[in-house]
Amino acid sequence: MKEEEKNNENPLKVNRRHFFSQLSVGIGSLALGSLLIPDLFKGSGEQPLAQQPLGIPHFAPKAKRVIYLFQAGGPSQFESFDYKPTLKKRMGEDLPESIRNGQRLTGMTSGQDKFPLMPSATNFKQYGQSGAWVSDYFPHIAKIADEITVVKSMHTDAINHDPAITFFQTGSQISGRPSMGSWMSYGLGSENKNLPSFVVLTSRGKGNSQGLYSKLWSSGFLDSKHQGVMLRSGKNPVLYLNDPDGISRSDKRHLLNEVSQLNKMHHVETGDDEIESRIAQYEMAYRMQMSVPDVMDISKEPESIVKLYGEDCQVPGTFAANALQARRLAENGVRFIQLYHQGWDQHAKLPTAMAGQAKDVDQASAALVMDLKQRGMLEDTLVVWGGEFGRTNFCQGKFDPKDFGRDHHPRAFSIWMAGGGIKPGLNYGKTDEFGYNIVENPVHVHDFHATIMHAMGLDHEQMTYKYQGRRFRLTDVAGNVIKDLLA
Amino acid sequence: MTRILKNRWVDYAILGLSVFLIFCLIFDAYIQLPNLVAWLGRWHPLILHFPIVLLLIAVFLGLTGKKVPDELLVVAVLSALVTAISGFFLGKETPVKGDLLYWHQWLGGGVALVASLWYVLANRGLSGTMYTKMLQVVMVGLVVVTGHYGGMVTHGEEFLALPTNKKEKEIPENPVIYADVVTTILDDKCVSCHNPNKKKGELLMTNLEELLKGGESGQTLIPGDPIKSQLISRLHLPTEDEEHMPPEGKAPLTQNEIEILERWVALGASDTLRFSQLPESEPLVALIKGLKEPDAESKWASLPVVADSTIKNLSNDYLTIERMAANSNALSIDVFSPPEYIAAPIIAMNRIAANIVELDLSGLPIGTAEMDFVAKCQNLEWLEVDKTPVTDAEVEKLENLKNLRLLKIYETPVTDKSISVFKQLGSLKSLYVWNTKLSNEALENLKNENSGLVINLGIDPEIETFFVARDSVAVAK
Repeated sequence: MKEEEKNNENPLKVNRRHFFSQLSVGIGSLALGSLLIPDLFKGSGEQPLAQQPLGIPHFAPKAKRVIYLFQAGGPSQFESFDYKPTLKKRMGEDLPESIRNGQRLTGMTSGQDKFPLMPSATNFKQYGQSGAWVSDYFPHIAKIADEITVVKSMHTDAINHDPAITFFQTGSQISGRPSMGSWMSYGLGSENKNLPSFVVLTSRGKGNSQGLYSKLWSSGFLDSKHQGVMLRSGKNPVLYLNDPDGISRSDKRHLLNEVSQLNKMHHVETGDDEIESRIAQYEMAYRMQMSVPDVMDISKEPESIVKLYGEDCQVPGTFAANALQARRLAENGVRFIQLYHQGWDQHAKLPTAMAGQAKDVDQASAALVMDLKQRGMLEDTLVVWGGEFGRTNFCQGKFDPKDFGRDHHPRAFSIWMAGGGIKPGLNYGKTDEFGYNIVENPVHVHDFHATIMHAMGLDHEQMTYKYQGRRFRLTDVAGNVIKDLLA
Repeated sequence: MTRILKNRWVDYAILGLSVFLIFCLIFDAYIQLPNLVAWLGRWHPLILHFPIVLLLIAVFLGLTGKKVPDELLVVAVLSALVTAISGFFLGKETPVKGDLLYWHQWLGGGVALVASLWYVLANRGLSGTMYTKMLQVVMVGLVVVTGHYGGMVTHGEEFLALPTNKKEKEIPENPVIYADVVTTILDDKCVSCHNPNKKKGELLMTNLEELLKGGESGQTLIPGDPIKSQLISRLHLPTEDEEHMPPEGKAPLTQNEIEILERWVALGASDTLRFSQLPESEPLVALIKGLKEPDAESKWASLPVVADSTIKNLSNDYLTIERMAANSNALSIDVFSPPEYIAAPIIAMNRIAANIVELDLSGLPIGTAEMDFVAKCQNLEWLEVDKTPVTDAEVEKLENLKNLRLLKIYETPVTDKSISVFKQLGSLKSLYVWNTKLSNEALENLKNENSGLVINLGIDPEIETFFVARDSVAVAK
């Protein structure tokens, strides 16, 4: 009752700023309305997409959720999915300038006077009906070659980790834009109100690692409820989620009720929507106290599943544990599940380090795809596996086929996808015989985003957010949906 | 008497315009219009409404024996003349006039001249005579026929034709790409402006020869080169672009239609190519298959309307109701396991049962009440009841779900008794049944009856053995 009275004191729920900004919209729309009078006679019942409510796909989606297995550091395509026998034939020869064609280099190799071609540290074989080439480092992924689609013609604009990974996650090399997962949460809403719609899980291999920052899963200028929530391994998946000792759940309920009343009063005074967002987040956190431990508890998983993902999956914080977790989160309606596995930055000691990295992720990645498949979840869950760029076909530093490194390479690299409206068993795109340039069907990062959004039922050109006077998109002002990849 | 009251200028104007109109009609072929005059023609669609209404009112008054006010007749006749002349100007924009336009022009000229004649008769005091009455009857006929021809020129010949059921234009089993698919798209979206009567941009799109010939802005169709073919490139321009086709206000092509045209051009724009000649990898195959079966959204167009408020009222923290797409009344329901499960919120969705196309009840302790509700969801396409205690008796309730495409019922106690129900689900494409009491023979039997069905029995044992044997843990440590 009291609350209602309070509301009546300021029934418009506006402060001076809101009043003026809404006034200008009101007058503007009147003026616009009069300009657009012909539209009144069109009589078409269809709303333009831009006016449609949020949280609903623009068209019927193929994928309802995404599991993005991000391989942070830039895994080498020459030791994974892009088989280049020419590199073996011309081993040690200098990379022809006609192939490099002015490509800029990082500070780590720009001082080299020679760029000796380096063949793969491992062997390749063809697998499945699709005849996909997969290296011996990835025997499990090779086994499921017909379930996945390998894109060998990815390319990006950035050449260093931070801008490149930021570009992949947010569509811009400069930080500050919302992450992919935040855009999906903003565009599609939450499937399960008891869990965040965007969840992040990280793991780290023994290879050379680069930093991961929470800005990668930030919601940028979108409402903060779309921000990725990082679940940690161990006893407290979400920090400060559990009640302190001596506080019961009913105490907590009581506390939340009081706090939310105070917050509502504040909202009435200021009209700031972030306050409502905060109230909703408190409520979600309260429900997450129950739902998170339930989702994170993998002890109920049967032996067969543990074997499938590998014994690693029982060790919290490993990629395998996170992959299994990802499936459980997907089952519980989390819209975007972002995994990062660090350690793919092989500037040196590539043969041993890469083998180790591959071991970390190979079985669990393939197991995840198979597990989703048996649950019928591959029909509406998109799995993506890949890093922020590829690596050079020449060696960094001293030429030694037993122990060498590769530098960053943005012009061509490989990723794979499975499920969620993507054609299975496709080998898409082609690089030249040196694996340096794309010769067929290039897929830019913007195209990648546009395609994933399309699978999720979103038109990447229509989903915008106006901020500081400009409408922003995940795909900025570019990007084409790669129809060939869609089933 | 009446003659004196008349303004002589009106006589002069009507005479002058009539002479000018006759001159135009006769010397049509020799006339070249200056730009500004041609622009006057653009007013034709606006002013033509005046003579139609005014002449009909005048005729009505005349035929019912009332006096036709002089002012009315003057304005009617003048507007008829101006309309006819402006119409002639507009017609000059079409270089070669088709049958429709030819008749519209002469009939329109006829209306104006007959109206002038009426004016002359009226001025001679012959208003009430038989001549005038006959002339008035002829006038009505002319106005109607002229208007009809004019309408066909602007809106297309089919405009007034009785609506035909579009499904009748079914694509044959092995269509000729050009004749059965491409022309259907062109007829639907392009020909209303690019036909012999209304040859916009001097382009005819009624047959392949004319398409290859192109229009005033150059080559429309270059076989094998969709990027340079304006037929394709203009479709891809932003809708705000002047050059975008179809122009603003006309129905745009769907993405599917654009891609079909594009692939057809890329493959050489052949008029003999058949569907069966395409390799399976050719994107056109999937595109044409897509044409044959309606897309999801049009399939759901006839579902009853659901208000957002209904959705909000029926949802709770553990029950999510989502629209399948914007503007769609098809709903997808996800129910998550609450701390204390009750069936009521699920049963409460009875009133929107017809709208539910996807329903996820997996992992819930559901029983008869819930399955009775599921049976009412007649439009259900996707059902998840895996990891639940559903039994054969409850599965039996599903037998009338004719649209069910996917059923997840793994990790349940169902047995071979349910097979007969699965057999009745004619649309079923995917069935997930591992960890149940279904026997392999029964499933084999089911598979024989529904050859399009994919039965998932869990992970392929060969792959599973491989994964178990090659566990990664030992090396990683």
